[in-house]
Amino acid sequence: MASSRGAGSQQVIRMADLEKMSLDQLKAVKEQADIEVNLLQDSLNNIRTATGRLENASAALHDLSLRPQGKKMLVPLTASLYVPGTLDDADKVLVDIGTGYFVEKTMSEGKDYCERKINLLKSNFDQLVEVASKKKTLADETGVVLQAKIKQLSPSS
Amino acid sequence: MSSSSTALRELQRDLENKANDLSKLQKDIAKNHQVRKKYTIQLGENELVLKELDLLNEDANVYKLIGPVLVKQDLAEANANVRKRIEYISAELKRLDGSLQDLEEKQHSKREAILKVQQRIQSHQAGKAKA
Repeated sequence: MASSRGAGSQQVIRMADLEKMSLDQLKAVKEQADIEVNLLQDSLNNIRTATGRLENASAALHDLSLRPQGKKMLVPLTASLYVPGTLDDADKVLVDIGTGYFVEKTMSEGKDYCERKINLLKSNFDQLVEVASKKKTLADETGVVLQAKIKQLSPSS
Repeated sequence: MSSSSTALRELQRDLENKANDLSKLQKDIAKNHQVRKKYTIQLGENELVLKELDLLNEDANVYKLIGPVLVKQDLAEANANVRKRIEYISAELKRLDGSLQDLEEKQHSKREAILKVQQRIQSHQAGKAKA
């Protein structure tokens, strides 16, 4: 995913370069950086949501493992229709691994799966946070230089 | 004088055509980016699935969701399917890369051609003003 924008080559914009740029170029750089910061924030939010859902799943799994077999329960058929049923085998769970594939796993494997996914998401989140804060710094610096230039150019009497 | 103004009009029409071509090229490039984004996401998802399948025991049960039906699948078959899908998506991405490069080159040369026409229009108008 990191190759989609060649971020490395664009990143090397120093304060010196910012000073040399014209007003229009500065505005363009700032706008571009702002757009990128927003995109990264959106991605960060998405990761947070996904992590939350996985943690819910993990908690539900843990809860399920505590229930005895044969326990009476209500099974949702639609959002407003529940049907009474009994808990069959709480040791086997079906895990959605993506692209329409489901795998039968044991309870512990299922919990392990959730843990793994949560860790993967957390490391992605940390990486993104780094990139996002660098972009934000760039956007802020550009904004500062832009303001300074505008003040310079406007008559100061 | 009339001949030079028809020439001017022709130049302007040429400019318009080239500008339309350029905007079509830019739309194509944007679409290319969109499709490539979609494929990249699918590729990532399929690679995750492959990793999960690799972790399984030989006798683990794999099911595929086909419409509203969960169908039991053979682990080997599921592996083969996902691998084939990954190959297909990678090939598509490469093809998109090629056409993106092509489009960007065309866009670049279109921009240069537009610049040239604009310069000729300017020199034409300057010539008319002098005379």
